[in-house]
Amino acid sequence: MRRRTFLQGTTAAMIVGAVPKLAFGQDNTITFGGSVPMTGAAAETGQNVLQGYQCAVNFINEEMGGVEIGGQNYQLALNLFDDASDPARATTLIQRQVDEGINFFLGSFGSNIVLPTCAITEAAGRIMVQAGGGSDLIFTQGRKRVFGIFPRASRQFVSSVNMFTGLDPVVKTVSIIYTNDAFSKFQAEGARANLEEAGIEVLDYIGLPAEVSDVSNVLTSVRENTPDVLVCTTHDQTSILIARQMVSSDTNVPMLYQTLGPQTSAFRDALGNYANGIVTQAYWSERAPFSGDYFGSAADFAEYFRANFDRELTYHMASGAVCIVAYIEAARRAGSLDVDAVRDALSAIDFECFYGHVRFTEDGDGDASLLGPLLIQRQEGEMEVIAPLDGASAEPIYPAPTWEERA
Amino acid sequence: MTLFLQTVLNGLVLGGIYSLAAVGFSLVFGVLGIVNLTHGIFVVAGAYGALLFFGQIGIDPLVAIIPIGLVLFAVGYVYQRTIIQWAVSRASLVASLVVTFGVAMMARNGLQLVFGPDVHTITPAYSFMSLTLGPLRMDVVRLVALGASLVLLVVLALVLARTHFGRAIRATAQQPLAAELSGLNVRNLHGLTFGLGAAMAGASGAIIGIVQPFTAASEVAWTLNAFIVVVLGGIGSPAGALVGGLLLGMINAFTAQYIGPSLTQAAMFLVLVLMLLVRPSGLLGNAFGESR
Repeated sequence: MRRRTFLQGTTAAMIVGAVPKLAFGQDNTITFGGSVPMTGAAAETGQNVLQGYQCAVNFINEEMGGVEIGGQNYQLALNLFDDASDPARATTLIQRQVDEGINFFLGSFGSNIVLPTCAITEAAGRIMVQAGGGSDLIFTQGRKRVFGIFPRASRQFVSSVNMFTGLDPVVKTVSIIYTNDAFSKFQAEGARANLEEAGIEVLDYIGLPAEVSDVSNVLTSVRENTPDVLVCTTHDQTSILIARQMVSSDTNVPMLYQTLGPQTSAFRDALGNYANGIVTQAYWSERAPFSGDYFGSAADFAEYFRANFDRELTYHMASGAVCIVAYIEAARRAGSLDVDAVRDALSAIDFECFYGHVRFTEDGDGDASLLGPLLIQRQEGEMEVIAPLDGASAEPIYPAPTWEERA
Repeated sequence: MTLFLQTVLNGLVLGGIYSLAAVGFSLVFGVLGIVNLTHGIFVVAGAYGALLFFGQIGIDPLVAIIPIGLVLFAVGYVYQRTIIQWAVSRASLVASLVVTFGVAMMARNGLQLVFGPDVHTITPAYSFMSLTLGPLRMDVVRLVALGASLVLLVVLALVLARTHFGRAIRATAQQPLAAELSGLNVRNLHGLTFGLGAAMAGASGAIIGIVQPFTAASEVAWTLNAFIVVVLGGIGSPAGALVGGLLLGMINAFTAQYIGPSLTQAAMFLVLVLMLLVRPSGLLGNAFGESR
């Protein structure tokens, strides 16, 4: 009898273990799965995105008392793991969560991680909304359940070229340095196409490997040609290296424009006053005139974040938070937690919130006309919006002072 | 011609840093026969140490080399006498590969836990100065790094060649049994050699910290670079590390300038494979190999 009870119990336990967990909607809790680079090379920005996710969950649970979907109130929960900036580890983590029955995924940071992980969620019929992968490959391979807050990389440069053509003296030549990875390369290709379309000559188009310890030779080429604008579609650490070596080798250009890096406190600490005048992109500004149901205005989001989290606020936090806001808004509109209904609602979503006007293209990336980057320039230590003109808080400083003058 | 000379200069400066970062790895490999995959951790720990000294007390990283070297010497000694020696004595030299790999992973995460995931840089007053020599231009910080690297390599070479300690290390490397029969404490000398390697790695880390941004994850690249330098230059001697480092710097600079920066790593690994095929002991050979 005892043996029979044991066998029955074991069999029951095995069956329970084999059935996928109903993570979404179970016990009135909506659980978001995913992985984030909490350690490794992309950890600095990964932590920023993670705190954005946490901020949205905290706000919706604690300030809004949860969210009502289809007449039922739900709390939100995160089931995020550290992928250590490693695509191989991330795919294992995501596959496990898919097997466990998670339906709704948030993205990691970096196209090299988002690309293989979104392929898994798509194949399993799950949804991913992410603010960490902009590579064109994510959005041009026919996926229907992957949504990106940012426009695809090749469409991220339109507003920049508009600014260049409006500068006085007008920008005639540009050199581009890019990291040879799935995101930066597409961004650089988009930049080159947009620049050439606008009649701006691209003097140099230089690819860097992912790990760089020295850019002296690249800067020698830049000094030989001296473009009006040096565009770097590189990641944080490489951007710091380039900027520091430009200062220390006295390589001056009228405008240094780095798409990633200058937003971070590490960049400011590494460059000090030399960070002034450097232009970068941001997909959100706390000074932007947007507001909506969640958090209120952009400034309200900034205030809530600072009151509850310790990291320096960058646009990555807002981008992370709006992923969850988009999910919840779509589920509310669908009136259901059914995966297909939420997917359809996400696909059709069109609403304004603290982040801006959220709308996705047919391919799932952010609509470039609404969610394209703002251009930011550090001026006297403050990050000022210099383009587009509608939301600008300062005039661009161009040509920028020489490094010696910035010391 | 100017471009060529500038490329040579860039390659030399980069190579000097590679040399210093690799010499500790080379020494440990040559004397103990251990491929120390924790090497990059010592380099990055040196950089974090310099960051602490500079940020908290305002001590210049070049001065901080001394206390950092002492601390890492002690850490390296204890690490070898305990974990590595246990692993090697209970299994084989191959076990040290797995053990150092595991320790490196744990240490990397430990450093990240303590210092955070953010990118760090050390910015002394001379960080942003440059020197101009005719049409050639070089940032002071890299020249300082090259100078400090050369000084430390020469000091290490003198220690190995002229002191009793150095002779004991060489004797241990060449004939461990004979060295032991002559009254040398080989186990202790292995620990001291490992400590010396860790100290040199830490010193290089302090210098690297002022040259480029770093995170805990940077350690992987520095272990890999050290391995390539040793394969190119030869095992066990400062001269081998210097030759290997300078060669690696030149390969890096010339590939970046004349072929394309995105192919620098491909070029490095191509040369690595060719060297392993043609001259597996490196250009200067194994400094201790002939007597074995």
